[in-house]
Amino acid sequence: MKIALCSSFVPFVNGGYRNIVEWLEIVLREAGHEVERIYLPEVDAPDLLFKQMAAFRFVDLEAADRIICFRPQSHLIAHRHKIVWFIHHLRGFYDLWDSPYRGFPDDTHHRGIRDALWAADTAALGEAKQVFSNSQVVSDRLQRYNGIQSETLFPPIFRPERFHHRAMNDEIVCICRLEHHKRQHLLIEALRYCNSPVKLKLCGLSSSTDYPAGLRQLALDQGVAGRVVIDHRWIGEDEKADLLADCLAAAYLPVDEDSYGYPTLEAAHAAKPLLTTTDAGGTLEFVLHEINGLVTPPEPQALAMAMDRLYEDRDEAQRMGRSANARIEELNIGWSHVLERLLA
Amino acid sequence: MKVLVVNNMAPFVSGGAESMAAHLKTHLEAAGHEAEVLRIPFQWEPATRIPSQMLMARAFELQNVDHVIALKFPAYLIPHPRKTLWLVHQYRQAYDLYDAGQTNLPDGQIGDNLRHLIKTADNECFQGARHIFSISDVTQKRLAKYNGFASDVLRAPINDPELFAGGPSENYIFAGGRVNAAKRQHLLLEALALAPRNVRLVIAGPPDSVADATRLHEATERLGLKDRVRLDLRFLERREYAAWVNGAAAVASLPFDEESFSYVAMEAATAGKALISTTDSGGVLGLAKHKETGWVAEPHPEALATALGAAYADPKRTADFGSAARACWISHNITWPATVEALLS
Repeated sequence: MKIALCSSFVPFVNGGYRNIVEWLEIVLREAGHEVERIYLPEVDAPDLLFKQMAAFRFVDLEAADRIICFRPQSHLIAHRHKIVWFIHHLRGFYDLWDSPYRGFPDDTHHRGIRDALWAADTAALGEAKQVFSNSQVVSDRLQRYNGIQSETLFPPIFRPERFHHRAMNDEIVCICRLEHHKRQHLLIEALRYCNSPVKLKLCGLSSSTDYPAGLRQLALDQGVAGRVVIDHRWIGEDEKADLLADCLAAAYLPVDEDSYGYPTLEAAHAAKPLLTTTDAGGTLEFVLHEINGLVTPPEPQALAMAMDRLYEDRDEAQRMGRSANARIEELNIGWSHVLERLLA
Repeated sequence: MKVLVVNNMAPFVSGGAESMAAHLKTHLEAAGHEAEVLRIPFQWEPATRIPSQMLMARAFELQNVDHVIALKFPAYLIPHPRKTLWLVHQYRQAYDLYDAGQTNLPDGQIGDNLRHLIKTADNECFQGARHIFSISDVTQKRLAKYNGFASDVLRAPINDPELFAGGPSENYIFAGGRVNAAKRQHLLLEALALAPRNVRLVIAGPPDSVADATRLHEATERLGLKDRVRLDLRFLERREYAAWVNGAAAVASLPFDEESFSYVAMEAATAGKALISTTDSGGVLGLAKHKETGWVAEPHPEALATALGAAYADPKRTADFGSAARACWISHNITWPATVEALLS
């Protein structure tokens, strides 16, 4: 089949939004399909939104047998066989309207843009043969704001067999971008309340140097610098697999994430228990308290208790790690399921 | 610098300009820049939809990009304050192909309006460009003739010059690259039949169609050339192809009215091989110069047969022509580092 994968992009900015497309591309090619990947630019400025949406509308992909659309506003592209794998709305106009993340005033002008955007999104999504989402959270938003029914299709990671369980050392690792909204600082703050000698390793690249520098200072101020490693750099896939193979547990505490997040899934493939917080959003669709990990309020003391518990009760940690691994199959997270649904 | 290469794409068809864009990205990165390719889908049928495709390119917004290098219509219409054009071609069906009666634009007022629209948008884009480079003399002349814009010719470099180190002659004449009627490999076979018996020919490359391949096989049979010709009609890996070039006594390239130097001639000159071409081969004649870098014959079998024989008559002279071809090529300074520097200037 000739399949066009359509998404929007910001030049020179990488991240999970490209992984879902590019991994699917490889898997589809391996399955014998012809694939064309189409990344078109999109800038979120309210006053530039509609002319760009018109551009998406003019994209002509008649040569494809079907198209699969990902990041907004690629779902605006018209096609006789359009599938949408929706990963998020333009959230400032949706669930983040009443939040500091909106980024523009709540006035008649912007309300007008918002209402028109909702109508255009609803119409474009309505054209699709099928709408999938990457999480229950996103499905709920599609239902609430657009009245669109969608099927949750969890994005798998690429070549998951790379991840495995080898040992359980004394370290809780957190491997994701070092960013304020990923809240590595909460883990450092928790460390000083820990009674056990549990250690922390925070690895990843940051979009700025401020946050990693702040983390280092925080560790010094809290007197826990000897128990935390802050590794501010891009972690290669092999190294990541090694870190997860040997760690005690994996922590991932994003603020209201759209989906469970690749770090969660990677740790589960390595059969490690997961540590997260009650406000982590889509992460909670995967992590179940005391079953495959520990879910605490986003507070240092509560996190510290959970960290001690993981350190002290290795049998429980081991058991929860195994459950995390079993959860992957339970949720049907895998490429064969993805292909089956997207190509149905 | 963050450099975005902007190109068209025809979904599920990969063309020459796509590979040029990919190589440009690689060489921008080699020069220490961040580079990415934006491929904008372009559908020109039916022609009445062309305005929507132009509008699409103009309505996209770019952020986080320091410099744009745009290659084709209508992708080059995308707005950016620092945009350099490396013009592969315009929408030729509104210009020279229209004049030649080969256009998909409708007759009458609608067609006239479309041409006017394309030309106006082009002119506005050319006016605002930081710098305009043309891929060939032909593209440069068209741009001057139809739009009145001056541009500098910046030819596409070869992508892997290190493969074409040259080497001793293994006594065959090589004709590589795509096989089709316009590249005229069949003419070489006709010439071979009239050339001295010691001349041998290797033709290797992908045929455009089954008919193109059949034509060469039949000619070889009909002219009784089986023991003097090797036909290897398929896509060759770069290393296989380079090995044929490096071992050749001389390289023949006789496309009809080629726009550019042609990769085949550029690669042969890089390898220091004498060139055999024809008087009507257009851009190839920028490198193939009669009795300087090889032989340029009239495009018929007798004249070409004389050229083929001459390449064997005096091996020392043939080798000297090869060295002269290499010197001629080097004098043009067509390399990726120089190209990247020009495109970012």
